[in-house]
Amino acid sequence: MPFVKRDVTARAPAGGQPADDTVPHADLAPHIAALGSPDIEVRWSAARALGGRADAVPALTTALGVEQVARVREAIMTALMRVGDEASVVALLPYLRSQDAAERGASIEALQALPGAILPFMAPLLADGDSDVRLLATELARNMPAEDATQLLCRLLEREQHPNVCAAAIDVLAEVGTLDAVPALEACAERFAGTPFLPFAVSVAIARISDTDR
Amino acid sequence: MAGSEPRRPRGVRVTQEDVRRLCEFLYRRTGMLFDDNKRYYIDRRLVERIEATKSESFPAYFAILRSDADHEIEQLINAFTVNETYFNREEHQLRCMTSDLLGNVIRGKRPGESIRIWSIPCSSGEEPYSIAIWLMENWRLVDSYNIEIVGSDIDTRALKAAGEGVYGARALMRLSRDVIGRYFQPGADGEHRIDPGLRESIQFTRANLIDPSEMARYRGFDIIFCRNVLIYFDDSSRRIAAENLYDCLAAGGYICLGHSETMSRISPLFRVCRFSDAIVYQRPESDHDGR
Repeated sequence: MPFVKRDVTARAPAGGQPADDTVPHADLAPHIAALGSPDIEVRWSAARALGGRADAVPALTTALGVEQVARVREAIMTALMRVGDEASVVALLPYLRSQDAAERGASIEALQALPGAILPFMAPLLADGDSDVRLLATELARNMPAEDATQLLCRLLEREQHPNVCAAAIDVLAEVGTLDAVPALEACAERFAGTPFLPFAVSVAIARISDTDR
Repeated sequence: MAGSEPRRPRGVRVTQEDVRRLCEFLYRRTGMLFDDNKRYYIDRRLVERIEATKSESFPAYFAILRSDADHEIEQLINAFTVNETYFNREEHQLRCMTSDLLGNVIRGKRPGESIRIWSIPCSSGEEPYSIAIWLMENWRLVDSYNIEIVGSDIDTRALKAAGEGVYGARALMRLSRDVIGRYFQPGADGEHRIDPGLRESIQFTRANLIDPSEMARYRGFDIIFCRNVLIYFDDSSRRIAAENLYDCLAAGGYICLGHSETMSRISPLFRVCRFSDAIVYQRPESDHDGR
């Protein structure tokens, strides 16, 4: 047999870095300092080690602001997502405005995983002056309880002027909305009667919601 | 139920629109993509789940699914994936391993060096043994390197079965009689026991993909087979698992997922590699390589 068998536990972690999980009780300082290391592997390991540590959120937030390597940025966002508190949401929100599509995507994915923590931020996001942010925020409602998502997106539809933002909200409502969304959807279709794809999208959404809630 | 039509609760009708909604939901949640030519496959499984949840209609079932009552999403995914495992399942990936992946892996190695292959989750051992047998049968350089195969799973009962290496005829259905003769010993009741030498060549360990401290034991793998498990995780767990797997791979190492899974929807850490037999994902050699 050409096969060999070794004790996997005897193998040292790659790169000589400590094989840390999150830091349970120990001193955070070395890991926080490591976030500023010139060595990518050290920064990556530090970000991963600080995942889920609420007291590391300020350091992770700062690191995310300066980190240039996509992989490490991803790890920092995951670390913040694992914390999942208000401070970590505040840290992730600015990246919804990023010019980098990958960064916006990573931010949305991390925030979508925190439907409870993001809820208090949804109203201001859906009223943001930037239509791109409002559009992305509709996607954050997708993982929320149906009642919350319906209420938030209906309020948006009642005042939203940008057809693409309305379309995004309608798409989410079609999946998660309740019958309470129907009046706001109908009003939206009426308001945008001159933009044919919106009344069509509304009709599909209402059909789906009615079907699901019947 | 095999070979017979599923019983349908009275009055349940699954329309094309229902199927489309279900497929959209499945794609959004799991990345699993089904097109129209799978309609019978989808209908059958959907009706089974409607029946199992005692739903009176598709909308009623879809409401259960969306709220994930009683872990219905997991149940649905179970219904849509082939849970039964067997030797040489997804053979195209094994072909890819010998026709493309290993050639790249050994580029940085001298004869006699180690090649590390990991099967996680390995369930009751069919996959790691399949890898070993496939290498013995299909890779001419198999004796030139020290090949280390590790099988890991979170389920210790599965690991015990893997260590015993006893399989029924159904698990061996993809293997030729010759191969069975070379690598198995016939036992009672039509069962076959894996060759003791082969059994002793593979290390079986417990590992939890989303536990970074457990995963820190595993480093430097050249190829990881991680099939049909990430789809069961929620978004957050998938990201953690992807980062753990990244750390477990050697730079330039490959990860093979299940046919219905795509790492692109989970994490940007890996590079997509399209080979003639399979699409696999690679840990880039460096942070400037393919990023």
